[in-house]
Amino acid sequence: MGYPHKPHLKETVVLSQYFGDADMRTYKGWVKRGGYEALAQALKMTPVEVIEVVKESGLRGRGGAGFPTGLKWSFMPKEKKQPHYLCVNADESEPGTFKDREIMRWTPHALLEGTAIAAHAIQAEVAYIYIRGEFTEPWTIMEKALAEANAAGVFGKIKIVLHRGAGAYICGEETALMNSIEGKRGNPRIKPPFPAAAGLFGMPTTINNVETLTAVPHILKKGAAWYKGLCLSNPKSTGTKLFSVCGHVKRPGNYEVTMGFPLKDLLYDMCGGVPAGRTLKACIPGGSSVPILNREETERTLLDYEGCVTAGTMLGSGGVIVFDDSADMVYQIMRLARFYAHESCAQCTQCREGTAWTTKIMERILAGQGKMQDLDLLLDLSENMTGKTICVLSDSCAAPVVSGIKKFKNEFEDYIAGRRKPMMVA
Amino acid sequence: MADQLINLTIDGVPVSVPPGTLVIEAAKQAGVLVPHYCYHPGLPVAGVCRMCLVEIEKAPKLQIACATAVTEGMVVKTQSVPAKDARQSVLEFLLINHPLDCPICDQAGECELQDFVFQEGRSGTRYGEYAKRFNPVEDFGPDVLYVPNRCILCTRCVRFMDDLAQEPVLNVSERGDRAYIGIHPEARLDHPWAGNVVDLCPVGSLLSKDFLHKARAWELDKTASICTGCSQGCSVTLDTRDEVVVRVRPRPNLDVNRYFICDHGRANYRWMNRGDRIEAPLVRRDGELHATDWDEAFARVLGILRGASGKAVALVSPGASTEALDLARRLLSAFEWTGAFQVVMGEEAPLPGVPNLALRAERAPNAKGAEQLGYTRDYAAAVKAAASAAVVLVLDDPDCPVETAGALIYAGTVLPPETACRAAQVVLPIANVAEEEGTFVNRDGRAQKYFQAKPAPGMARPAAWVLGELAAALGVAEARQ
Amino acid sequence: MSVSHAADTEEYRAVFAGKVLEELQTILSRYPTKQAALLPALWVVQRERGWISDRNMAEVADALGITPASVKGVVTFYTMYHQHPVGRNFVQVCTTSPCNICGAEGVVKAFLEQTGAKDAGATSPDGKWTIIEVECLGACGFATPVLINDDFIENVTPDKVADLVKKYR
Repeated sequence: MGYPHKPHLKETVVLSQYFGDADMRTYKGWVKRGGYEALAQALKMTPVEVIEVVKESGLRGRGGAGFPTGLKWSFMPKEKKQPHYLCVNADESEPGTFKDREIMRWTPHALLEGTAIAAHAIQAEVAYIYIRGEFTEPWTIMEKALAEANAAGVFGKIKIVLHRGAGAYICGEETALMNSIEGKRGNPRIKPPFPAAAGLFGMPTTINNVETLTAVPHILKKGAAWYKGLCLSNPKSTGTKLFSVCGHVKRPGNYEVTMGFPLKDLLYDMCGGVPAGRTLKACIPGGSSVPILNREETERTLLDYEGCVTAGTMLGSGGVIVFDDSADMVYQIMRLARFYAHESCAQCTQCREGTAWTTKIMERILAGQGKMQDLDLLLDLSENMTGKTICVLSDSCAAPVVSGIKKFKNEFEDYIAGRRKPMMVA
Repeated sequence: MADQLINLTIDGVPVSVPPGTLVIEAAKQAGVLVPHYCYHPGLPVAGVCRMCLVEIEKAPKLQIACATAVTEGMVVKTQSVPAKDARQSVLEFLLINHPLDCPICDQAGECELQDFVFQEGRSGTRYGEYAKRFNPVEDFGPDVLYVPNRCILCTRCVRFMDDLAQEPVLNVSERGDRAYIGIHPEARLDHPWAGNVVDLCPVGSLLSKDFLHKARAWELDKTASICTGCSQGCSVTLDTRDEVVVRVRPRPNLDVNRYFICDHGRANYRWMNRGDRIEAPLVRRDGELHATDWDEAFARVLGILRGASGKAVALVSPGASTEALDLARRLLSAFEWTGAFQVVMGEEAPLPGVPNLALRAERAPNAKGAEQLGYTRDYAAAVKAAASAAVVLVLDDPDCPVETAGALIYAGTVLPPETACRAAQVVLPIANVAEEEGTFVNRDGRAQKYFQAKPAPGMARPAAWVLGELAAALGVAEARQ
Repeated sequence: MSVSHAADTEEYRAVFAGKVLEELQTILSRYPTKQAALLPALWVVQRERGWISDRNMAEVADALGITPASVKGVVTFYTMYHQHPVGRNFVQVCTTSPCNICGAEGVVKAFLEQTGAKDAGATSPDGKWTIIEVECLGACGFATPVLINDDFIENVTPDKVADLVKKYR
């Protein structure tokens, strides 16, 4: 399995520099190109010094929430009184997102190195890398890489453990992931307590996304100022980011660009635009949980945390789903709602019942049995599912529904009015 | 202390509570019941039903009152439009798959889903013609049925078994709207305290087989009582319908049983309704016991007590009230008296999640009270002493193997065919625990009052009244402590 | 709680014995609690037996000092654990939105046709194939990704299915 594209000229290749180079999966290959130097450097620094560098770099969480990484690390107790844990979120499950998978497939040591540095910074003796169960290939590669690195003894006292998920989107939520490691159902926990106070096994815990940690060795080696300088728009969004582009584009794949990069250029230049003879209809820029953009909005969006908010959406995980004019938005939104209904953990009432009900209404509309008031009902249910539950899964179900009805209302109305042939049986 | 309290206002009512108090508890002090399902003061907080959403000034979004601790100056609004809307929507979500089978549901009338929908739910459904989720009824254990269609997945039952019983036999199975409360097919919900899940269930999803389709909640009269099942002395409520005890439920008592009772105590009520009671005083005439009125019976007893001297023995039930036990002692105070009781023993069964709470090996509610009044546990010696005593008084101990050359007086609820008490000179019919008011002293020395739930049959009267009349006639009642 | 196996006539063969038991010990050494070994232990059971039966759950519970009900709650939460026997080849086709717009439904159809499995979720009459639709496999740029047992195959189109079926048959 090769990597489907060569780096585009407009890419800023940092994390993805070695994608496609199988030699980099080996410990030898990684070390040959300067691997584990950043870790050696970090181990000579105090934890606080490492945290300061990361803080200064402006690195923010790449899993979706965009929380400043250095700040998150600094919440851990300075004085260690009980075990500290690091969790690495490699449960990449957000529809549209497949960047962490590529990092693990091509540069497993980059993740291991970043993990060890973070563990040192937060004074954790054990780091659990939670890899989603479906990632069989990344798992094998990571397992091999970890064995090689352990044999070389690069991690010192830090123990890294791979933990395999078993099919649950919600385990990408940080506290659900901790429950899952503890051998429980992947239920998100109510906060407080926050993980830095009581996380995994009730101990102070930090959890970071794969891409976030993979950036850390680069920051240590090249300096915070270098990383901070990687910025095309808002100074609060620094560095590079991997965008996974999928759906209706000629060249889907992962593209690494500097924060603030125009979404338009990513889609039209790098990905080659939509298939010939089609036009772009809609785009979800941050994984399926963020509001959908129409074509105009897509073309003026800058890819950083602030730029996406300005456009009425979120940067999320950087999973860019592209729909051309052949896409049936009603059907696609139903598929997304069905996804969330399938993945709801069942704890909160609004999510458990709301995601399923939303799906049923959407299915009914697609079956030609919808009513105009169903649209108001969908919006009202979405409102009731937003901001009221333990985690944001139900908010995530509501986001595409609300933005979809707002921006593609005519497609819903076509089904309801019978102008469009039903495509489902209720 | 006052300066250590946190001051806040809830719906405009100022309250002061200790730090760490949850908003939902602080609200109770303000007289505000925040609607809720998963929260229960006796269980760990889950925060999953999302029913108790309230508005808190300066918070960016609604907060759940069950998991939010009070802070100084907090302003809580439970009746604001966003809070009410949010709760109304939770109710709507809870009802879409609910069968609405209240007419045949045991919980109807004491159902928190019914209550809160009545209080602040929508008047109609927007769920339309969608099929409702269906799962068949499951037999969970000796006394518990699970009706999944009514379940709102509040997980109180699961948390009770996990954290209180510490025997996690229940789980949430599957996920999303397919979820239900599950049990491993090879396991049973037969923990000695398992029945509490029925009380904890806020809806009609977990049902007691014993109570199944027995009564409507609104037909029941409720009486505060103390469980007679063992020496723990759990506070209970006796539910009666048409003067028949149909159910025993726990009554919150933070010092003794918190919110729970064991299954032994829960099932220990049928004897209160037994029909083979002594309904009139009996006196021995021509070698036979004959029914009579209280005046004659009292006259006979007083005759015996005034005419005898020397040794007297009282063989009493450790289930008799402290008042009756005290008066029995007084009646015999002119004699050289001994009193004793015997306690049926069983297996001890703790509820591990609550300190000092167990079904006690001593299966009697007032052994401690009897002891405090000078009755001993040396029952065999007392029975032996009874043989040569001038007077023997048996108090509600029908199976007592008593034989005496003296006069035998028996005050009891029943007179079984083979009992030695049939040799009594006088039989005095008394009320049982459900038919009288009285006091038990539990194993920790806590005196607790119980109240009358139903009338005594026929001419039967509370033992304390019967013995009190006699004591008054003898002039020994006044010295009561 | 009482657990009875009265209904079982055939003797239960423990999963965790010999080498597999040693493997469990290794897994246990990675976590501070025994329960944390649950997900990995269940993976071992599924590898050894093809699926996870109620009796297996009871065995795992016993080994980890938890109750069978807790184990069952976990098994039913995670979709990758099989609670019933499945075909020798277990095929998971991603049909979430990004793959759906790239033709994932056609891939499912092709698999059903080529293997003779009646519906998604059903096992083919020869017992060799179970085809299921799954939500996002996390390889949306390589639509349509398919997991055949532990082999992750990218860019599957309906016309490639016949060859794949031949290969795994």
